[in-house]
Amino acid sequence: MARQDALQGSLPLLVLKILARRGPLHGYGIAVQIEAMSEDILRVEEGSLYPALHRMEEAGWIKAKWATTPSNRRARAYDITAAGRKQLEGELIRWRSITAAVDAVLEQA
Amino acid sequence: MSWLSRLTNAFRPDRLDDELEEELRFHLEARAEEAVHRGANPQDAAVEARLRLGNPLHTRETSRDAKLLPWLESLLRDARFGFRMLRKDSAVTAAALASLALAIGASLAAFALVDALLLRPLPVYQPERLVQLSTWDERDPHENYTFNYPLFERCRQATRGQLELFGMSNQSPEAVVFAKSGGVQEKVRLQYASGNALTSLGIRPALGRLLNPSDDLRPGAHPVAVLSYDFWMRRFGGDPAVLGRWFSNGAKQFQIVGVTAKGFTGIEPGKDTDLWVPTMMWSVPEDLSDAGSYWFIVLGRLKPGVTAEAVRPILQGVYANFLREQAAGFRADESRAVVDSFLHGSLHVLPAPNGPSRLRETFARPLWILAAVAGLLLLIACSNLANLFTARALAREREMALRISIGAGRGRLLRQLLVEGLLLAGAASVLAAMFAAVAAPSLVGLLSTSDSPAYLDLHPDWRMLTFLLLACTAATLLFALLPALRASGVSPHEALKSGGKQSVRSSALRSMLAAQIAFSFVVLFVAGLLLLSFRQLTHVNLGFRKSGVVLIGVETTDPNPFAKIYYTPAARLTALQLVDRVREVPGVRNAAMCEFGFFSGSLMGENVRIPGRAPGDGGIYGVPVSPGFLETTGVRLLEGRTLAPSDFTPTPSVVLVNQTFARRYYPGEDPVGKRFAFAERDRDLPQDIIGVVQDVRLQSVRQPAPPTVFVPLRGLNGTLAVRVDGDPWKVVPLVRRQINAFGHSVRAGDVTLQSALVDDDLVRERLLALLAGFFALAALALAGVGLYGVLSYSVVRRTKEIGIRMALGARQSSVVRLVVREIAAAAGIGIAAGLVLGRLLARPVESLLYEVKAGDFWSLALPLTLLLAAAALAAFRPAYRAAKVEPAVALRNE
Repeated sequence: MARQDALQGSLPLLVLKILARRGPLHGYGIAVQIEAMSEDILRVEEGSLYPALHRMEEAGWIKAKWATTPSNRRARAYDITAAGRKQLEGELIRWRSITAAVDAVLEQA
Repeated sequence: MSWLSRLTNAFRPDRLDDELEEELRFHLEARAEEAVHRGANPQDAAVEARLRLGNPLHTRETSRDAKLLPWLESLLRDARFGFRMLRKDSAVTAAALASLALAIGASLAAFALVDALLLRPLPVYQPERLVQLSTWDERDPHENYTFNYPLFERCRQATRGQLELFGMSNQSPEAVVFAKSGGVQEKVRLQYASGNALTSLGIRPALGRLLNPSDDLRPGAHPVAVLSYDFWMRRFGGDPAVLGRWFSNGAKQFQIVGVTAKGFTGIEPGKDTDLWVPTMMWSVPEDLSDAGSYWFIVLGRLKPGVTAEAVRPILQGVYANFLREQAAGFRADESRAVVDSFLHGSLHVLPAPNGPSRLRETFARPLWILAAVAGLLLLIACSNLANLFTARALAREREMALRISIGAGRGRLLRQLLVEGLLLAGAASVLAAMFAAVAAPSLVGLLSTSDSPAYLDLHPDWRMLTFLLLACTAATLLFALLPALRASGVSPHEALKSGGKQSVRSSALRSMLAAQIAFSFVVLFVAGLLLLSFRQLTHVNLGFRKSGVVLIGVETTDPNPFAKIYYTPAARLTALQLVDRVREVPGVRNAAMCEFGFFSGSLMGENVRIPGRAPGDGGIYGVPVSPGFLETTGVRLLEGRTLAPSDFTPTPSVVLVNQTFARRYYPGEDPVGKRFAFAERDRDLPQDIIGVVQDVRLQSVRQPAPPTVFVPLRGLNGTLAVRVDGDPWKVVPLVRRQINAFGHSVRAGDVTLQSALVDDDLVRERLLALLAGFFALAALALAGVGLYGVLSYSVVRRTKEIGIRMALGARQSSVVRLVVREIAAAAGIGIAAGLVLGRLLARPVESLLYEVKAGDFWSLALPLTLLLAAAALAAFRPAYRAAKVEPAVALRNE
């Protein structure tokens, strides 16, 4: 449970970052990437991944189109937009300042 | 994606659902495949994948909300649901739709007419600055709009710089011949206008120039004409070469110098004008300097910053001076009171943003009544639908209760019901627009008379659209909101209990029914008054036979139609010869000549001096006729003898008088053989009364016959009355040929049927009667349908109760009484309210009635009987069904 809670507010940030680096990915691919890169520490709550993706799509940070996978199946692939990159920068700064603040509290306590 | 994509998503949520489904399915499959890859068995892998994804329904719903406008989507869902509900009772829906469409359509058509004729300002520059002058004379208390030219000139001079006054004659049909058209005579609607009239209105030329002040200088010196855009298009196909073309009107020649801009059809709504010529070209030049000749109306445009109140005192001063000068010419023995009341005449400056209109004067009141009745019809239809919705809401009470108890908000249910209502009203509005598009122009057709067709601009515009939207919304709120509020306020606990109490809602149903019956009664009452009045009018004894008589004008080809030569003894005898020639035409049974026909609009006032009676008591009408006139027109001779050719001496001195004349001047005496004199002409010549004829209505069905004398024809100018056998239109060309071949510089003019002239006199009454009949039938049908619906519903709902009563030994008659009683009570209240409301609405109607009074026996008995008959008809089936309830069956159903 703890692992998932940690992810709640930062899911958009992670999705944007992964899309920015890895290019078009479908929902499952994004989930797998997050897990793999965090060495399985961060596990995506899949139930909230898709609504989050759709909200980001509505907000214009990412865009989606139907693509065919290597195994010849239709999947919806997401990619980051220019607005998404801008959002990513903002989110990164915010994230860093929060973690820095948390670190500071932890060190002094 | 923008809100636009969410909007489109809202309209195709199924596709959206499919896409979400597919995306999630891919995820599940990919996750399971990977697990299988790592060695799990496929079944466990699938389960594991589904567990990790969580509740797919929840995921989908959250995603959906992100992807579409949720309120719109649910609104559309409501609409779809509503549509299904409406389609389920398709018969009821169709009836509701038809009645609402009829009512909205009637209202819309009435609005279109009221707007075009009464409300819409003229399509000119700043119409709100236009004014019209009128005078008021205490002795003849109504606004007089016609002016004489000298007075107009003085008013114009006095207000120069503050008010730009201009005159316009009454538009009249005139026969003109355009150059290069082979000499064919054409009827055009011509209007004489001051040189500054069109420019003051702010009209621009589409071609050439308009009339201008320099066309307004000397009588007879400005032979120019301006065409209206519509006439230019219709007659000349928009050909620019029309500029410079000549046409003749009688002996005068005019040159076309311009065309007005598109959209302007004249200053009088309902009467399009084809061309304008300067007032200086008026056919009787003497009128331009004659202060006793009233022949045109005066309009004006207020200069910026000037108000009507500011210029009125100036004009009043001018008018007072004018009256004083006129009074100076009165006879010395004129009474002081007469002179004083003459001098008290006042001049008014009236706002005229939508122009003067005689059509408006005639039809304003009928149209408002029509609009009010249409509004009532709309109310009836709305209460009908409200009943329907209430009944349906009761039937769906359990559904509502169930939805509330599983968590649906009240607002949600309210919206669902309102959307259903709006759906119905929207569909009805579309039908109504189609109905009005057909109905409104045919109503205008009914306003037309044979010699003055009415034209109204009825093309749909934003005003009509606004009205339609308002009517639609108002109707929805009226018929759907109240039932919806009730239905959504249902208490689930009460309603879900089997057979819960519903008396509160039944009372709502009953009061709605009462309101509906009240409105129906009012419509029937008003319609009945108008119909009864029309019936009286069509049964009036006119004193002559209108059918089978054709009136053919006899015109002179002499350039001066007022040539005195036509009132000579020789011309009189020539006229008798013409009549004899016409009598020879096959198909003509009889013919006679008169100076003007009955109901032609022309009258000749006379004053008589009767020996032994005070002067000033002798206002009568004279009708100059040839021998054979009484026989031709069917006026009965009651006493004495009729006119004979031998009476047409150089100074004829015999007359026929009518019954009213005889009664007024010779009460209790035999007038035949008595003598009197005309006060103003042939002063000294005593006139012998040779006979008494039946009373004849001279100009209107509504006005009783005035004292009238028939005198020998004065000249060759006038109208031939021809009684024909069979189809008059077969005989008319032969008669015309005979007249044209007669010589003596006469030719055949206008042809009208005597019956058409009489019918035209009743055009307003006929229009009202026709519409009243239509509205009455509609109201009756709506009331019947409403009553039937409520009764049937009530029987169905009380089937169990009836079953129990019958099982306990109640007789059929008492069951029927039970069912009918509450409806009868509602009807009674409705009729009582209708009587009160009817009295209120009857007051403005009463002035239009002829020999019928609101409150007469038939005026009350007719609507009452009809309404009760409709109610009985509507109640029959439900009552029958109630009586036939089988207790065993009814009770088993529970």
